[in-house]
Amino acid sequence: MTEQPPAGVDTGSARAAWSAHGANPFTPWPDTLTWRPVSPNLIWVKLIRLGIVTAVLLGGVTVAWAVSGHPGARYALAAVALVAIWRAVVTVRAVRAWGYAERDHELLVRHGLLVRRLSIVPYARMQFVDVSAGPLERLFGLASVQLHTAAAASDARIPGLPSGEAARLRDRLAALGRPHAEGL
Amino acid sequence: MSEAPPPPDPTPPPPPHGAPPPSAAPPAKVDPIPPVGGVPAAEPRRRLHPLTPLLSSAKTGLVAIAALSWQTLSKVGIGGFAVIVTLCLVGALVLGLVSWYTTGYQVVGRELRISEGVLWRRTRAIPLERLQAVEVVRPLLAQLTGLAELRLEVAGSDTEAPLAYLTVDDAHALRERLLTLAGRASASGDGEVEQPGRLLHAVANRDLVISQVLTPQVLLVPLGALGIIAEAFVEGSWGFIAVASTLTAIAGVLLRPVRRILLDWDFRVFLDEAGLRVRRGRLETRSQTVPLDRVQGVIAVWPLLWRPYRWLRLRLEVAGFGGFETDLTVPAEQLLPVGDQHTADRLVAEVFPGVHLAHLSLAAPPRRTRWLHPLTYRRLGVGLTETTVIVRYGRFTPHVVIVPYARIQSVRVVRGPLQRLLGLASVHVDAAAGLTAVARDRDVAEAWQLAAELVRRVHAAQTAR
Repeated sequence: MTEQPPAGVDTGSARAAWSAHGANPFTPWPDTLTWRPVSPNLIWVKLIRLGIVTAVLLGGVTVAWAVSGHPGARYALAAVALVAIWRAVVTVRAVRAWGYAERDHELLVRHGLLVRRLSIVPYARMQFVDVSAGPLERLFGLASVQLHTAAAASDARIPGLPSGEAARLRDRLAALGRPHAEGL
Repeated sequence: MSEAPPPPDPTPPPPPHGAPPPSAAPPAKVDPIPPVGGVPAAEPRRRLHPLTPLLSSAKTGLVAIAALSWQTLSKVGIGGFAVIVTLCLVGALVLGLVSWYTTGYQVVGRELRISEGVLWRRTRAIPLERLQAVEVVRPLLAQLTGLAELRLEVAGSDTEAPLAYLTVDDAHALRERLLTLAGRASASGDGEVEQPGRLLHAVANRDLVISQVLTPQVLLVPLGALGIIAEAFVEGSWGFIAVASTLTAIAGVLLRPVRRILLDWDFRVFLDEAGLRVRRGRLETRSQTVPLDRVQGVIAVWPLLWRPYRWLRLRLEVAGFGGFETDLTVPAEQLLPVGDQHTADRLVAEVFPGVHLAHLSLAAPPRRTRWLHPLTYRRLGVGLTETTVIVRYGRFTPHVVIVPYARIQSVRVVRGPLQRLLGLASVHVDAAAGLTAVARDRDVAEAWQLAAELVRRVHAAQTAR
């Protein structure tokens, strides 16, 4: 598979180990995959959550304004509103950035706007699968699926799946994974 | 090397006294009253060794003296201090006696039951199926009195259940018996009663001492002491308390290197069919076995201060082990506390055949990232061998992380804002036990290829098993 060049430290030849596969069969990879998006309803879940937090903050500032009468409070109100609008825009884009794909042997999860992250987890490395749903998520019929491996850093969580899809994914992962400490 | 490593024992050692071979009837030596008709449940509750209260109270006394500190000594005077310490010791002795009287252990079926407590009786039942490892440890006090401590590691809980103290023979016999009952007699060995296997390497104690002297802690002590002396000159006061406190502080700083020396004294690594066996220790002799397939990776570190000797150390990353070492200042597992390049190369090749630490074939990140890593650029690199992925980083203390494909849990490609601007990406390789090897700032196309190739090899390594 890999030839060891004698004492070749920091030569470019080591790179051949992973770039030698013809004219890069993965060139468009990972774009050749069929990425599945998470449910657009997750946007609503997150927006409602944001709305609740914003309402609480606005209410607090208003009460403080009413009690103290400090004129600076109006700027605080404006700041809270601006941050809320900015968060809303980010939320919409962040939810659209989430995606997952099932390959033959691995689950791929990508997310993040500023820092783009892609996690590749072989099914055989799965320790267990969590399916969870908060009250807001249940209202929209959504659930989160999280794949746990023996490494805490694996970072394979898919939020906002329709419950049917979440159950299907969980069953598929459970069937594909061999959870008995494989690779430990 | 000032000290020749002992040659591997050509002849099998004589059968150790007191410890029955695993095949023998397990309860034969352990229990003075043999179980009737092979019913193990009928065996009586046993007490720990009668010297236990003395040892535990001596330990408490030391703690009490440490807690009282110099301040108290200066306040109450020597006489008062002696009275307080004596009271502490007597109290501890009484408590130790009561706890010894009420503590008992017995093997019932496939369970070890440990009962303790006076007012709140507590019986802990340890199912032997969940027994991960049993270790016979001999702390200094126990060594002086010919006793030993038995520590159990149980799956699914962090609590170790120590049985302190037993006679050495009893401890070994009970250990054998528990492991036999747990159905894994050979899973985790104790070097003192078993044939150690092939000696891979013995660390010279001289090198160990030099390596620990060459640590920041030790080298900074003279500076700190000078500073305090200078201050005393300026202030013009040489109080007893000041000197005593200074000495205590210095002792505290030196504690870690001294502990490392004591822990890694007579460090020897063996290899046998059970895996790597590490035997070490001055005050307490420890022997640990790490099955090779539980090694998640090896980290080689070249500390800056060791550079004159070109020394490095090797750390084993092991999942689900090292639970014995509750003290976080001590690394869980070491493959080599100190050694030269050649030795390290040999040891790494034993753990990961085909990996040559001295001749790594690594690819540097693209040249355009030089300015991102002005100091470390020449050290950065990632390489793939037949069985492992290797990552190197660090300018002043170079690190090399080796992770076998068969232990990789996940592969991640991460692109931060600056990296996306420059067309770069980092490839993270995650293994268990918190081990992550990061190939930083690769060209983005190369990163995708690297990730794809890693995933392919992970799959290949897994189907090959």
